[in-house]
Amino acid sequence: MLNVHLIRLIAGRVLLSLLTLLLVSALIFLILEVLPGDVASRILGRDATPETLAVLRAQLHLNDPAMTRYLRWLAGMATGNFGTALTSSRPIVRILEPRIFNTLLLAGYAFLLYLPLALIPALIQAVRRDRPTDHALSALTLVLLSMPDFLIATLLLVTFVVTVPLLPAISLVDQSSTALEYFRAMTLPAITLAIVMAVYAVRMLRDNLIEVLGSDYVRMAELKGLSRRRVLLRHALPNALVPTLNITALNLAYLIGGVVVVEKVFSYPGFGSLLVDSLQLRDIPVIEATVLIAAAVYIAANLLADVGAILLNPRLRGVHS
Amino acid sequence: MTLSAAPRLTRARLPSWRRILRRAPLSFYFGAVILIAHAVLAAVGPWLAPYGLSQMGTGIPLSGMSLAHPFGVDQLGRDIFSRVIHGSHIVLLLALSGTGLGVVVGSIVGLLSGYLGGWVDNIVQRLLESIISIPFLVLALLAIAAAGPELAGSPFLVILVVALVYAPRVARMARSAAIEIATRDFVTVARLRGESAWSVMRREILPNASSVLLVEFALRAGYAPVLIGSLGFLGFGMRPPTPEWGLMMAENRALIIVSPITVLGPGLALASLVVGLNLFTDGLARLIGRTAPQTQA
Repeated sequence: MLNVHLIRLIAGRVLLSLLTLLLVSALIFLILEVLPGDVASRILGRDATPETLAVLRAQLHLNDPAMTRYLRWLAGMATGNFGTALTSSRPIVRILEPRIFNTLLLAGYAFLLYLPLALIPALIQAVRRDRPTDHALSALTLVLLSMPDFLIATLLLVTFVVTVPLLPAISLVDQSSTALEYFRAMTLPAITLAIVMAVYAVRMLRDNLIEVLGSDYVRMAELKGLSRRRVLLRHALPNALVPTLNITALNLAYLIGGVVVVEKVFSYPGFGSLLVDSLQLRDIPVIEATVLIAAAVYIAANLLADVGAILLNPRLRGVHS
Repeated sequence: MTLSAAPRLTRARLPSWRRILRRAPLSFYFGAVILIAHAVLAAVGPWLAPYGLSQMGTGIPLSGMSLAHPFGVDQLGRDIFSRVIHGSHIVLLLALSGTGLGVVVGSIVGLLSGYLGGWVDNIVQRLLESIISIPFLVLALLAIAAAGPELAGSPFLVILVVALVYAPRVARMARSAAIEIATRDFVTVARLRGESAWSVMRREILPNASSVLLVEFALRAGYAPVLIGSLGFLGFGMRPPTPEWGLMMAENRALIIVSPITVLGPGLALASLVVGLNLFTDGLARLIGRTAPQTQA
């Protein structure tokens, strides 16, 4: 199946993604360390004295030329040596590990909730096309689409913490937390993320399903006498899912920004709240590492969607030359 | 003959406003009504609001929802409903100027890059691609961190950050529109006539890309209040006591158990504005013939 043409196409995409990542790293470094003038006095702010400034400059190697510092930083990032945090003087890798674990757990949970939240309304809408149910669900999606994620999070908080006290308002967890504590802590943030992601997918999935349901092979399957459910789930759904691959990649990308806000609302100790905290503390090495990781995940998600689209495209897959 | 034909062609393709409005879907009118209500509120709100912006002792602190205080009273005794009204013009002005700046800068970069093509286009594309690869909220926070503590909380910083987030995304749209338009005959004629690249962009390409850019503006404006609100909510946007809605939600977060309406009130104001903007854009996009908008990313 895989031919030279296809491999060359995919290799091209991979190289382009790596080039983009390299540019992003230069951009981050430029924005944080070169453009703003003296980094040390910006970190220390008003309470800087000449002595503390000199110590910090030496600690950050700020007396070296910018190019040397950038290359050293880049080499460190590439080999997994992210440097030391300014505020806690702990290795950044040790700080990142539990945060990334927590966010991956949250993202996985949110993704599990996202699938039924996107599929079920879209299927109902496509089957009940142009009926009141379809219009009602369309209106609901539009309203949810217009709600900022921190408002959806707050509404859930008011509903499940204040009105019906089922879940904790603050989602603090650590290594000693039990699985049940993790589950309770993650539920509201995961529902918020899943709703935001599903709302984007529902609209597109509905339109795709309606288009596929009107196609010849679906009519053929119906004429063969297959049950409605079988036609819908086996014949229509898989074909309608292909174009939503792009939306799912976009949703992965949203997730990286979304966790910043949602984790902050629920005080969940993940990657997103680490970014906000490090920005508040002006801990430049931690900011650099987290932003670069966020961009890398975004680029990887887009690359996967691209490669997926190439592999799923029969015209490209079937070329034998 | 083609020399004078170009402007007439563009004018002939655009139907009159009256005919456009008659074809508009219902959502367009719904959105327009909500937006007009918000615009009126922003314009005359400060005179309509029952209490002052920072007036304390307007009622019993944390007394919850009542007719006198629909959005409750915070712990300083300030009326939240009045503060939401006072914030209306701030949110609208920040969102519109940030989006406007982003669309203008993005259009210039995108149209020029698409028209010029070649290595200029290649370099610009790689740069834009890498900026877009930083998730937009992360990019906004990064820019605020880089601006340093002196600029923090300034409305100009918020406007610049919104423009920085939008300009590369607008540029990408503008570029593909320019590439399509650049193949048309009247552009070739203008170039043969000896017009400079800037002049071709301004007089031939821009008028023909205007509907794409208009939808792009509406689309981005719909998300701008959310972006500004997110920054305020995280503590990186406007500073207290500015009545920016996202910031107000963060300020009153501690009151969520005793008086949830003080948090939800500003949130509802924000959501209603964005619903209006989205309905309006949805209708506009369908009118001009583009697919349904995706506000995300």
